[in-house]
Amino acid sequence: MRIDGCWYPCDDEITRPIVHAEILTGEGDWLKVLLLVDTGADVTAFSADVLELFGLPIHERHDRLGGVGGVADSVTLLAQLRLTCDDGRKAVFRGEFSAFRSADALDMSVLGRDILDHFAVIADRQATLLALIRDRHRYQIVTD
Amino acid sequence: MNVDLSRIPPAVEMEVVSDPQELAQARQQDEQFARNLAWLRCHASEVYSQHRGKCVCISGEQAFVADSAREAVALAKTVFPQDRGRFVRYIPREKVPRIYAN
Repeated sequence: MRIDGCWYPCDDEITRPIVHAEILTGEGDWLKVLLLVDTGADVTAFSADVLELFGLPIHERHDRLGGVGGVADSVTLLAQLRLTCDDGRKAVFRGEFSAFRSADALDMSVLGRDILDHFAVIADRQATLLALIRDRHRYQIVTD
Repeated sequence: MNVDLSRIPPAVEMEVVSDPQELAQARQQDEQFARNLAWLRCHASEVYSQHRGKCVCISGEQAFVADSAREAVALAKTVFPQDRGRFVRYIPREKVPRIYAN
């Protein structure tokens, strides 16, 4: 399995590793979202604008999520997230995900290791390659 | 080694979808999204600089701006109701380098 992402320019003129995904809303629609591939994130967390569009009941309230800026209030919700494989199939992830209520806490949703650990993550900026691979897709490190 | 199970994130289950009908609908959405994403890439500078602190919905290869994500999507739907490839971006108030970690 291979899921391709891209290196995408953000508002601060910084290019970041992004995958596009869909989240299932409370209305039964799949909504497109951009996710930052973040191997430093323990969990996948959605930004406030995405939380607003979810339309799903909040499962429980977290204490808070911590990061560089300290801790921020977050909530948990049961959700489904869908990634596109290179062969056209979709990989659906179901579980509890976190979300921030404040837009300033997180400006872009992050894909954390709760999902990334299902894959080998290749983030090669020089080659402009971003890929999540598993099963029949493998990588090899070669020394010339 | 003692493990505090309450500190371990709950497992996320993975399933692969291969239903042809569902994938066909998803493919159409992906194509619409790809056009919107490409449009934003070309117009990133103007969109980001002009709409800090706002939510922007990219739909029909146009930007729809509002104070909230819901409002931005509602604006987009009035013009492009059939575009399922729309997506929303919150533009941070300040243009600063960021470190993401949680």
